[in-house]
Amino acid sequence: MATGPLRFRTPHIEELPTAQSRQSAGFAWVPVSGAQDDPAKNWGTTNRKRQRQSTGGQTDQQKEAVSARQQREVERRIKDLNSDNSKETVEIPKKPGQQPSGGAFKIGKTSGTKKIMSSGKSLQHHLEDEQAEIDRTGRREGEVDAPAPNAQRASKTPLHRRKPREDSSASNSPAPAVSSMPPPAIPREVVQLDDSDGDEESQLPGLPSAAEMEALLNAPPLTYAQARASSPPPGLPPPRRFCETCGYWGRARCLKCGAMTCSVVCKDEHDQSKCLKMYA
Amino acid sequence: MAKPKNVPASTLSTGDLASRTLILDNGAHTIKAGYSSHLDNHAPNHQDCTIIPNCIARSTRDKRTYIGPELTTCLDYGELAYRRPVEKGYVVNWEGEKAIWERSFSSEEGGLGCEPAETNLILTEQPNAPVTLQRWTDEMVFEEFGFGAYYRTIGASLNAWAPSPFPSTADSVSGLPVECLLVVDAGYSHTTITPLYHGRPLHSAIRRLDVGGKVLTNRLKDCISRTFDVHREDHIVSEIKEDVCYVSPSPSAFAADLERTWKGGRYDARELDTTVVVDYVLPDYEHIKRGYHRPHDAKIKGGRVLRVDEETGRREHVVTVGNERFTVPELLFTPSDIGMSQPGLCGVILQSIHSLPEGLRQVFLANIIVVGGSGLLPGFVERLDAELRGAVDEDLVVRVARAEDPLKNSWLGGARMAQDEGNLRQRLVTRAEWMEHGEGWVRRRFAGKIGR
Repeated sequence: MATGPLRFRTPHIEELPTAQSRQSAGFAWVPVSGAQDDPAKNWGTTNRKRQRQSTGGQTDQQKEAVSARQQREVERRIKDLNSDNSKETVEIPKKPGQQPSGGAFKIGKTSGTKKIMSSGKSLQHHLEDEQAEIDRTGRREGEVDAPAPNAQRASKTPLHRRKPREDSSASNSPAPAVSSMPPPAIPREVVQLDDSDGDEESQLPGLPSAAEMEALLNAPPLTYAQARASSPPPGLPPPRRFCETCGYWGRARCLKCGAMTCSVVCKDEHDQSKCLKMYA
Repeated sequence: MAKPKNVPASTLSTGDLASRTLILDNGAHTIKAGYSSHLDNHAPNHQDCTIIPNCIARSTRDKRTYIGPELTTCLDYGELAYRRPVEKGYVVNWEGEKAIWERSFSSEEGGLGCEPAETNLILTEQPNAPVTLQRWTDEMVFEEFGFGAYYRTIGASLNAWAPSPFPSTADSVSGLPVECLLVVDAGYSHTTITPLYHGRPLHSAIRRLDVGGKVLTNRLKDCISRTFDVHREDHIVSEIKEDVCYVSPSPSAFAADLERTWKGGRYDARELDTTVVVDYVLPDYEHIKRGYHRPHDAKIKGGRVLRVDEETGRREHVVTVGNERFTVPELLFTPSDIGMSQPGLCGVILQSIHSLPEGLRQVFLANIIVVGGSGLLPGFVERLDAELRGAVDEDLVVRVARAEDPLKNSWLGGARMAQDEGNLRQRLVTRAEWMEHGEGWVRRRFAGKIGR
């Protein structure tokens, strides 16, 4: 096989004069560099899996691209799951027997309400507007006590990668327990506890004092994005995959499109109708 | 209803409370509405609350549009196109919401017969709302509808006044909130965890899981569409979900169930376990008004069929529902199954609890209540209980209970709270105050920052 690592090459051989010099072939197997380093010998496979391995492994950039593609695919699917099935806009019918001041009835009585009712913004717009407002002024509207806008630049780290700040008890940042799920018995020095009341013989940590409860209650509400539960700690097992045809555990991945199937029967079904090669 | 161009002035003088209070639990899927009055001694119960679908639906089959409560009069739920003014729990489209509210308030069939100027309003919203939307809500309520007095609150906090489902807690007197409560609101748009202290929410610990009834229904649509395309049949798939779906009691039971519903490989064909796999008969709204399910009939191969029913002799569409019964609700506990990067419900609760100071954790772990439509799934509470117990330290007490009626519980709490006149006076903001102090003040009042 010409693509093997060994080649014919005649090294320099000196036949030493010995008493018994056997007849040997005039060649020897010599290891040379493999096809990986010799691009001329790589004829290119259409098989993407072999391609990935034969061309010296993927560069980091290529790996990023593959995972970004998968990420986008996953996000698209999640967005689909959240869709409202409202492709056709449903018109609001006019009530029969409209009263004489019909216009005001439908559109709004005051100028403020007219503007509200005719606004076509979706929730996404509102959330983005609010985020822009916070970034601009450093505080939410209506919050009396706000951090100085220039004190700290709005962090650009995505929320799930932020480290919890030890001094945050009632501030705006969410402080999810990034340090996985230790049993709550391990004390966290977030709030100074008042041990004098509530200390029973079973060694429960004391309830916070009234002042601390007030501080907790008066904490400003989080923004929509901050209240979202952040991703679990990275040490967990990888997400489970299911068969695309029947829903059982996914055991084999389709080489062309990456979908999982569980058995040969399901894989045949997938190849015939659902595989990406039908579309792509 | 002839309304003049200006909002009618309330007939009440300032300082007077209207005799009735309308409690409107405004959800993304349904509105729970009903009256409560602080003047009579009638203890509110579940019958006082009507559930109104919060949508405008258009049926392509009979070319009619149904607003809000009219949906119950619809005869054919097939291929209904929905429009929901509430997105992710917040009212975004006031044009649609106004139409629904007006239809609900009118005295026609199915309406409440509400006269806004003579009624107090208690309205619920979801936590962490964008400030603009809160401002809009206040303005619409006062200017457009003309309510005399109103109180806007986070829906979960009303649960503190509802009767406690824990058998050991003494029945709370109507009008007083339970001291500590952790509310798991498994609603349509998402699931929110809210710790409450004396009925007031602890904002820094509110967490949200972006999986709700809508995601479950859409996922079920995708699964069933592998054999029979139901992408546009929102209502019917919702009914299927409510009828047949359940939650596996543990991950190992999940694996066992999955084994039982597998049809096997090519060389390893297996019998489907007919106790788990069911056949669902789809309604056709001519003879079958409501779908029903029955144990799987092994003669039906391939997942869907149009066959003649032996007893009645009529044709029916039958769809086989197998592992979708429990893999779909599993999304609440393992969202990574579809690739979401959030932890399951147990993990979110733990995140919320860990953000509270040390001493409060045990209290909240022992008072977890489940409300919301998805809480009705069989096995939900048991699974949550088991997972939480496994995740926390052994000497902590964990109590999880489902509210008696998860859909109406927040409403019931609001009704009981409204029975107490002191509560009402403390919380309601009248229109006069709104005109005088402006919206920023009103918003801070509702957030509890300005006392009376």
